[in-house]
Amino acid sequence: MELFLQTLLNGLLMAGVYALVATGLALSLGVVGIVNFAHGEFLMLGAYLSYLLFALWGLDPLLSLGLAFAAAFAVGGLTYYGLIRPVLKAPELNQMLLTFGLSVILQNLALLLFGADTRVVAPPYQAATLTLGPFFLGAVPFGAFLLSAGLLLLLQAFFTRSRLGLAMRAVAQNRLAPGLLGIEAEGVYLLAFGLAAALAGAAGVMLSVMLYASPTVGFLFTLKSFAIVALAGLGNLKGVFPAALVLALAEALVSTYVPGGGGWVEAVFFLVLFLALVGRSRRAL
Amino acid sequence: MRAVLGLLLLFALLPFLPLGDWRAFVLDVGFFVQVLAALALSWDLVARTGQLSLAHGAFFGLGAYGVGLLAPELGTLPALLLGALLAGLSALLLGAVALRLHGLYFAIASLAFSEVLRTLALKLPFAGGPIGLPVPPALGGAWPLAPYFLGLGVLLLAVALSLWAERGAFGLAQAATRQSEAVARVLGVRVVRVKLLSLFLGSLTAGLAGGVYGMKTLFLNPYDAFSLARAVEALVIPIFGGLYSTLGPLLGGVLLVSLEQALRLWIQEGYLVVYGGILVLAILFLPKGLLGLLGGRRG
Amino acid sequence: MRKVWLLIGLLGMAWAQTQVKVGVLLPLSGPSSVSGKAALNGIQLAADEVNAQGKVRLELVVADDGTDPAKAVPALTKLLTVDRVNVVIGGLASGVTFALSGTVKQYQPLFLAIGAASSVVEQAFEGYPLFFHYHPWDYHNVAAALQFFRYLAQAHGAKKVAILYEDGPFGSAGIKVYQEQLKNLGYQVQAEPFKTGSGQFTPVLTRFKAFAPDILYWIGYDVDALPIAAQARQVGLRPKLIYGAPPSWPIGFEKNPLSQDVAGMTAWLPTVSNTASRRFVEAYRKKYGEVTEEYMAPMGYVIVKSLAQAVERAGSAQKERIAEALAGLRMDTPFGPLSFKPSDTGKTRYQGFGPEVWFQFQYIQGTRRPVFPKEKATVPFRYPGEYYLR
Repeated sequence: MELFLQTLLNGLLMAGVYALVATGLALSLGVVGIVNFAHGEFLMLGAYLSYLLFALWGLDPLLSLGLAFAAAFAVGGLTYYGLIRPVLKAPELNQMLLTFGLSVILQNLALLLFGADTRVVAPPYQAATLTLGPFFLGAVPFGAFLLSAGLLLLLQAFFTRSRLGLAMRAVAQNRLAPGLLGIEAEGVYLLAFGLAAALAGAAGVMLSVMLYASPTVGFLFTLKSFAIVALAGLGNLKGVFPAALVLALAEALVSTYVPGGGGWVEAVFFLVLFLALVGRSRRAL
Repeated sequence: MRAVLGLLLLFALLPFLPLGDWRAFVLDVGFFVQVLAALALSWDLVARTGQLSLAHGAFFGLGAYGVGLLAPELGTLPALLLGALLAGLSALLLGAVALRLHGLYFAIASLAFSEVLRTLALKLPFAGGPIGLPVPPALGGAWPLAPYFLGLGVLLLAVALSLWAERGAFGLAQAATRQSEAVARVLGVRVVRVKLLSLFLGSLTAGLAGGVYGMKTLFLNPYDAFSLARAVEALVIPIFGGLYSTLGPLLGGVLLVSLEQALRLWIQEGYLVVYGGILVLAILFLPKGLLGLLGGRRG
Repeated sequence: MRKVWLLIGLLGMAWAQTQVKVGVLLPLSGPSSVSGKAALNGIQLAADEVNAQGKVRLELVVADDGTDPAKAVPALTKLLTVDRVNVVIGGLASGVTFALSGTVKQYQPLFLAIGAASSVVEQAFEGYPLFFHYHPWDYHNVAAALQFFRYLAQAHGAKKVAILYEDGPFGSAGIKVYQEQLKNLGYQVQAEPFKTGSGQFTPVLTRFKAFAPDILYWIGYDVDALPIAAQARQVGLRPKLIYGAPPSWPIGFEKNPLSQDVAGMTAWLPTVSNTASRRFVEAYRKKYGEVTEEYMAPMGYVIVKSLAQAVERAGSAQKERIAEALAGLRMDTPFGPLSFKPSDTGKTRYQGFGPEVWFQFQYIQGTRRPVFPKEKATVPFRYPGEYYLR
């Protein structure tokens, strides 16, 4: 029983970070309508920023969080202006190739600048542990979970309380109507894309503490984020966290209870996704 | 049409041209161009029904694994065919289950499918597991050009299938299915059949391409053979060249694959930055792919 | 006037020189590029030294294999047919090297393999007469690690090993052998695979807690080093030794307090104190302004140095003559003495280094120090480690 609860706890903590990365993806997909293959590269940006600030000035990654958020927002905004806006009306596949090209550029620029080496930071709390009775909670994963939850709640409030947020949701639900209602779609797109990148940047800082910074750190998470966004329903922002939770729990349960499960985690993750997608498409009829 | 035939003729004549010192290198690059162009064509064939496959890397890998496992017992050609059949059957399975998924949903489902297959290849003991699987060279290795001509054969098949689809009623049915399944149904298109057949034919050629690839690289492991990078390459080439056509993926394959090799020779470090830049510029300035450059003659 | 003398001198040297064009095919991009670039640095350093001495002139033609068979095969073909090299240094990643075997057999160059530890590569090159493999084979690596485990059992009473291995070719290659051999040594063993780079060890480590291992042994990549060390603490797992076997370690790991007392295996460290190693470190610092920790750098260096000696002895640029001279060569290297003998399986004829080059180190206060075997140790082995004592 203890092991079971601990496993659930492990899954829950992981779901936080997954949801943070996936929410950004869902934003750019739902609001702007862009499948962004370069989402993971914004995450990488945050991770490297955190590494550099730590390595050069010993800056605590917690302090880098805000900076990475802002920097990734700026890069996301620039990307929107320079690259995304010209192809807003282009076929979906063209947009995909564009963002794929961008991802190749950013990943290899990082490779040129930093090499393929894995880089790590060392804040004092990195391996700190909280014990709750018989349960163990890593302070960093727990903190990352709280931060993710906080950011997502803020976002939720933004969407339900503020005019701009409501406008964004309107755009997400219907691409034509906002224009009729006099909502400036341009600005909404820019904000959404920047925000998506900023969330990834913040997640990148967290991952630099939990894992590492490297040119490919974003790849695995983008892949899983796509899965989560698809499970939630493309563009459905509210569904992201439950979807992340389902997949993270499936992963945690398999790797805890199936002998040799570590090697099956990926397969289970995608099997769950596959069945869910197929199941939903059947029910829809 | 003339451009397609011209390119194919070039591939057929390449081994007989006086290329001097560069001959062996050009033939090696030519081999990989053929294989990847065939893969791109097979992806495009499926895409014409609106199914965005991210499982073509897995079909490619299945074909390759089929050859690796069967060639020692059955010989080169039967193994190649059976490997392709394996890919085709798995595609039918995917198609039948994911029939009602569209666009990005189908893409993600096919991605998930391919990840599951890769894990299976990793875990099945007879498939060599994570260490990998040696593949015997084509036709016992007696003839160094054998992979090249096998590659040419696969490319010819892919082009022939694509032309057949493009020019006949099947192509119209595909286009109708892509634009709107409901409308296509009303028009009397048997949507399910069109989608499944496209997927089957597309994965068959992808499997053949993978099989030939395996005979050249002589060694497979699940991470390489089932890689997502190859699935992405299969979709990058047609978009770059020009979608839903025969010439587009063919031309895209020739240019993009040789461009990558050339950039690697000239620039070495960081050549992929330039490669990515070219992709981005192509989308910004050639929204119809290379075919747009040729004046957009197609309808 | 001095210029004229210099010119005459140079001309005279050129006259006595043997010129050899050497193809260098390494992963300068892709997953193995850290090792590939380190190797290239070592190779270029050695080529500079050789050319400065003037007896042999090596012209390097460098190509990137991209850690990808589809890129490596044409690149090798170009080296062999367009650049017409007779000698190739390359073969770092095992899968790629296997793919090269077809082209190598077709054009028959002298092939000096820098890495490619997997014994499937040995099968691929079985019977090929011009194959020189410098790096130890994977069974050598296993033997070296087992020697350490035997010591841990005998001297420190270690009984239980928990193994985490990545599920790709690198981590899984020797895993069956490891498990059997560890059991033969009297260990209780639990082994779990993981996906490298995923950073999710909490569930598996939680499960290991019930097993309470003395040793947590992980076989993976640099990306896994920190997450394993951190998450072991987070779940409250307290092994007496954390022992990792990645091909390279992350940058900055040594400065991380979590690395304290983590052990690993390598063939070389800049602190290794034999003459050849000290000379290498000094020359490397002079050329590149920094010290490398990657053992592939001295490995590349050793290959070029040995090649130059062989060319000098052969007095010819002919590959068969060079191979003959190389086969009889003996030299001191940063790894210890080098000479070629048939491999343990008898499949290939020229095997350079064996299990003896490996040694175990520990991260101790920000640097890596050799701790085992005794004759190579510079500081005492710390067992149990700090992560247990906490």
